[in-house]
Amino acid sequence: MTFTPLDELLLFSGATLLVALILGRGLAAGWMVTILYGGQLLTLIKMAALGYSDTIIHASISFEIMGQSLSWRFDALSWFFALITVASALLSSWFSCGEWERSFKQQGGNVWLYHSAMALNVFTMLILLASGDLLSLFIGWELVSWAGFLLMAMAGGVATRAAMRYITYAMAGGMAVFGGIALVYVAAGSLQYEAILTAVDQMSSTQLWMLVVMFGGGFGVKMGLLPFHLWQAPAYAETPGPGSAFLGAISSRMGLFAILLVLVKLFGIVNIDSLKIPFTLIDARDLLAWIAVFTIILPTFTAMKQNDARHLLAWHGIGQGGYMLLGVVVADAMGGAGGLLHVFNHATYQAALFMAVTAVIHRTGTSDLNKLGGLVVRMPLSFMVLLVGIIGLAGLPPMNGFVSKWLVYRSLLNEGMPLLFLAAVIGTLGTILSVYKLIHNIFLGQLRIEHEQVKEAPWSMMIPMLILAAIIFITGLFPGIPLAWVASVQEVIGLPATDYTLGGVESVSGSLDMIWVIGVLFAGFGIGAVIFYSAGRSKRVHQLDNYAGGHFLSADVRYQYSDNFYAGLMHLIGGWYRSSFLWLEKSVTSLVDFFSLVMQGLYRRANAEFYLLSTALFVIAWVVI
Amino acid sequence: MNEHLVLTIALPLLGAFLLPIIMRSSLAMGVWIGPVILGYGCWILANLWLHGNEQPFSIAIGGFAPPLGINLYVDAMALLFAFATQLLGLIFWPFRLDQDTPKRQALMLLLVASSTGLALSGDLFNLYVFYELVAVSTFGLIAASSSSAAYVATIRYLILSGIGSVLTLFGIALIYAQTGTLNLAHLAQLAPDQLNNDLGLAAFLAILIGIGVKAELFPVNTWVPEVYATAASRLSAFLAGLVSKLSMLIILRLLLLIFHQPEATQVILILGILGVISGEFAAWRAKDMRRMLAFSSIGQLGVIFIAVALPDERGVLAVLALSLHHMLIKSGLFMLADHWGGSLERLRGIATTSPLAAGLFVLFALSLVGMPPLPGFWAKFTLITELAGQTDPLYMIGLLVFLLATVIEASYLFRVAAKMYQTKPTDIVRSNSPDSGSLSLTTASLFGAGLIAATVMVSPLGDGLQAIAVQAQDVDLYIQTVLQQPLGEGQ
Amino acid sequence: MAPMELILELTLMPLVAFLVGMMMVLMMRRIAAKIQRRVGPPLLQPLYDIVKLHSKRTQVSHGLIHDIGIIMAMGGYIAAETLLPVPGMNGIAEKGGIITLLYLMMIPSLGLALGVGQCANPNGSIGIARALTAMLAYDIPLVIVIFGVAYAAGTTNLVDIIAQQQAGGFAAWGAVEMPLLAIAGLIAMHASLGKQPFEIYIAPAEIATGPMVEMSGKYLGGLFVMQCFQLYTTSVLYVSLFLGGGSTWFDFLLKSFLVLAIPVSIAYLFPRYRTEDLLRLMWKWPVMLGLIGVAFVL
Repeated sequence: MTFTPLDELLLFSGATLLVALILGRGLAAGWMVTILYGGQLLTLIKMAALGYSDTIIHASISFEIMGQSLSWRFDALSWFFALITVASALLSSWFSCGEWERSFKQQGGNVWLYHSAMALNVFTMLILLASGDLLSLFIGWELVSWAGFLLMAMAGGVATRAAMRYITYAMAGGMAVFGGIALVYVAAGSLQYEAILTAVDQMSSTQLWMLVVMFGGGFGVKMGLLPFHLWQAPAYAETPGPGSAFLGAISSRMGLFAILLVLVKLFGIVNIDSLKIPFTLIDARDLLAWIAVFTIILPTFTAMKQNDARHLLAWHGIGQGGYMLLGVVVADAMGGAGGLLHVFNHATYQAALFMAVTAVIHRTGTSDLNKLGGLVVRMPLSFMVLLVGIIGLAGLPPMNGFVSKWLVYRSLLNEGMPLLFLAAVIGTLGTILSVYKLIHNIFLGQLRIEHEQVKEAPWSMMIPMLILAAIIFITGLFPGIPLAWVASVQEVIGLPATDYTLGGVESVSGSLDMIWVIGVLFAGFGIGAVIFYSAGRSKRVHQLDNYAGGHFLSADVRYQYSDNFYAGLMHLIGGWYRSSFLWLEKSVTSLVDFFSLVMQGLYRRANAEFYLLSTALFVIAWVVI
Repeated sequence: MNEHLVLTIALPLLGAFLLPIIMRSSLAMGVWIGPVILGYGCWILANLWLHGNEQPFSIAIGGFAPPLGINLYVDAMALLFAFATQLLGLIFWPFRLDQDTPKRQALMLLLVASSTGLALSGDLFNLYVFYELVAVSTFGLIAASSSSAAYVATIRYLILSGIGSVLTLFGIALIYAQTGTLNLAHLAQLAPDQLNNDLGLAAFLAILIGIGVKAELFPVNTWVPEVYATAASRLSAFLAGLVSKLSMLIILRLLLLIFHQPEATQVILILGILGVISGEFAAWRAKDMRRMLAFSSIGQLGVIFIAVALPDERGVLAVLALSLHHMLIKSGLFMLADHWGGSLERLRGIATTSPLAAGLFVLFALSLVGMPPLPGFWAKFTLITELAGQTDPLYMIGLLVFLLATVIEASYLFRVAAKMYQTKPTDIVRSNSPDSGSLSLTTASLFGAGLIAATVMVSPLGDGLQAIAVQAQDVDLYIQTVLQQPLGEGQ
Repeated sequence: MAPMELILELTLMPLVAFLVGMMMVLMMRRIAAKIQRRVGPPLLQPLYDIVKLHSKRTQVSHGLIHDIGIIMAMGGYIAAETLLPVPGMNGIAEKGGIITLLYLMMIPSLGLALGVGQCANPNGSIGIARALTAMLAYDIPLVIVIFGVAYAAGTTNLVDIIAQQQAGGFAAWGAVEMPLLAIAGLIAMHASLGKQPFEIYIAPAEIATGPMVEMSGKYLGGLFVMQCFQLYTTSVLYVSLFLGGGSTWFDFLLKSFLVLAIPVSIAYLFPRYRTEDLLRLMWKWPVMLGLIGVAFVL
């Protein structure tokens, strides 16, 4: 029997999990697991042909259970997501080796559980990505949900509560998908993709509506689409450092993968477009687009109010998911490319950001934005990584986030959707505000006394961060590299493929060439530097040698602006934060609680059944006689 | 070989009467009687399963051929449940030795005998008799827990069960008055003409509500939480795991053979839905592990009732799969409750002290909420694909309620699981005796192993159940087997 | 295009921008002087100022990021100028387009924000917080305007947008075809310059000139250079979008100076808004005008 590359990948991944389970308590466990992730990455690279063409690699195993056949295979879509998954796992795991692991163990963390949970997550994600029919998709989906739960819950305390909230949402989503699968099965008579593709054309619009709602809602939960977004930020933020980098990078993108597969590839954007909402001018596709932009705006502005770096980043993770969905729903060549490219870009900068924040936590013990400041002089490399990351997150040139957002903007412009465009830009502006707060409150401003002796993060953590920073910059400079994969993905899911070049995209209505843009930008910086440094030498002063309105500053004077950072803005929009979704969630919970109380009361009433039975008896007797 | 089948009922029955006497003379011998009888029963049934031909057969008792005489009807479904009865009887055998031992063991044998009878009987009146025997032995067993709470619970159960029996008897009387026979095969023959009317429906409803008491049907299941929470966990496990399923089996048989009115299935469906809602919601707030399991059991039985209401053999398949799965899981969970005992609050951080038990709990919970590839998933998958295929909107509501209930179920089960894995164990002293703890943990592990085995072999199991369902669905085969071969195996 | 020619263009465009920008600063000061009945500075005053600031003896640095911030502030604009076509020179405008230009124009603000942050002065940080808030305020109408123009032109390529206006003559000018957008754009542009009444982030009386509080010598000089570029970029962008760009240098410069004269003249007549008032103003009138304008375009 010969192994296909996919078999090798899955075996490798399974082996990683086994090694983590068996040897996870050992000394060099982290390194071993990391090397195995490297092996997985190599097998993926062996399959690189998938990223550039429309081919499929099958797995050798398949099952026939209760009349359902289960099979697994990889195409460009799976490969693209798998690449991101494995790469982020590799770097997160690398990041966790050595010093972080030791300090985690000292704080009472369970390193064995951490490595196993990570390996399990990767393994289940690969299974999900490889699914060859809807049933195996659902199996993978549930596995991923529960594996995620394990990783989120392992820190205990607040994290467990967040994970509980997650699993309730995830279960609800999973059940919606389960119901949807049952409906599809009835309509198509099979759960194979081909059968569904043919059956979709015969479906009535009511049927399709139900399916779109159930699948869209179910998968949307994992993506953190509004109104199902509340679980995500606390769950990701409270996961142990490298775990949150991994989850933030890829976990919720599994929802997007499933949406791409089911809604876009199987149902087809055209079909979704034809679903009108009665008495309004919008259809299901517009609805999705609007959900996407609200998912961009609201979580982004919630992020702005966070005072914990990890929570801030996690909220942005939700918001950025909106751009991906928005691009895909617009579904022209540029939009699809933008949405998909953003998956890649987001994974890179989000992982880098979480790692940088984790490095700060590792050194200072806190991620509270009001208890940090001025660390740039102590941790310059971490600062640089965070800077690169936030430029990517905010979507400014020269980092990769700009390219994907540019593509999304362009598609909205081309299709003439001003409000969506505006909303997308508002999201970006909000992101800029929020990430400046992040970098300012951690790295800029006044260094606190207790942090004067802080050292730069150790190299075991620094190297993966630097690699990510390099990837963020290089894929910003040469977006053509990931765009090649994205173009194949677009073909696989039936969207028009984008016309890419190494430096960007080619289009009659305005092109983008990042090589030139970045070239002139750095030339500009160079000229600026020449002007700046040709002037006289500057004198480096202590941070307390500062204008304080005539006062003298001393080390114990707090001279840092961090709390309520955007006071002026909040004066106006502060009242707009209504916590409506929290309220909604609370009301649902209390409703369940109330029902629960009623039902328990029902069962506690001793005589209810007696009356019922006697009534039944009399009625039947009366009927008969 | 086939005639030995009668022994699976007769021997435990005999044992139940002789046990107290033997025990008085020789405790050592008495202790072994029960397990040996049940073991032999298992062996007979397993043999029959392995070497018997695929065809169902009927055994006439007492020399009269059906429809005049009473008979046992043995098809794969009956055999399966009979085997499960004997096996679970063996597993949940009350080993504990004290002054109540003879009483308890005798009652247990009686319970097993009558339960086996329920599974095999091919005659309505016979069913009723066995059903009453089950009730009587159950009362005795619950009361034997000898706590005052158990006593109150038993009284309540007794009243309900009594009224249920009256109703059942009433329904049977109606049928007899209408058709003049109580043999199921004969009834199946006559039903399209004589019972397909309001009277038949009334009779069915009476029987449904009567038997529903044990099958945890919605309005008549109020005894469940109290009894399960106060009775010994091993007994609760047997009741929740098996007896409820056997009652369900009777209802399913009646529905398949005799009552084809759409109203009948509709009533079952509605009551099932209400059962799911009430059970799962009530479990959400439960503070005690056993009570939580009891409510969850009501919910699960509601799901099975929904499956019973489904028309064709995939519906039967769903019933079988869900029943067997629930039998396995609930038994295991009750064993864990026995191992830990008491309130959920005490489970905080228990995973550090008993990792195996906590792991088993998570495994059972995952299967219960239908996490693939555990067997619970396949059972639920069969159910929902079948539900989605129905045109009646009521089934759609059933589907939605089922999905919602699963979410709630996952929420409360994993709240418990999360509590177990919290890092800081509280310093509350655990009071359950170590030996019963380890015994129930072993039993629970057994079920866990069974679950894993089922996961691995889910494909052949599915095919097997499919075949059973097809056979059970075949009314003509039933009639033919019982009536057309009057001199076959019987004599 | 020959590479040498391109390199020449790329060098010349920022240089021209710098020179014109200095003249614009001069104009601004002269207008202010006129309104305040003063004589105003001589022709080369901006150049003197830059040279003076760069050759000061006390140059207080608060660290490397402080320096890099100033470099980014200048460099970002230098790069942005190459994306902004002027008569006879397109630079790399076709490789970026208007959205890229818009985002490149944020780089100097980001650099400034980083540099100010490093200074560890709360006044500076508050200033930056206010500046970013102001950006959130004026970018929303600005983006609507840009959407409208780009959609009407069917391209994001500034060269094409200008060419279309010039081909159609005066009647095809953005300001004539889309007057509402032009008005909204003017208001947004005014706010983006950070002049009164929108100078919330300088506010000398409240936060001691905000971002500039720790800037001395060449740091302030860098900011001065940045302001030259900013005035130039803003007005030329407006001219390119709405006034048909420039076919000759004469009318290009004339339009640019005239456009800039409007907000500058208004600026010296008004006191300062509060932050939330700026937001409210920006999100109400120009957004409304812009959206109605876009509705006409669609």
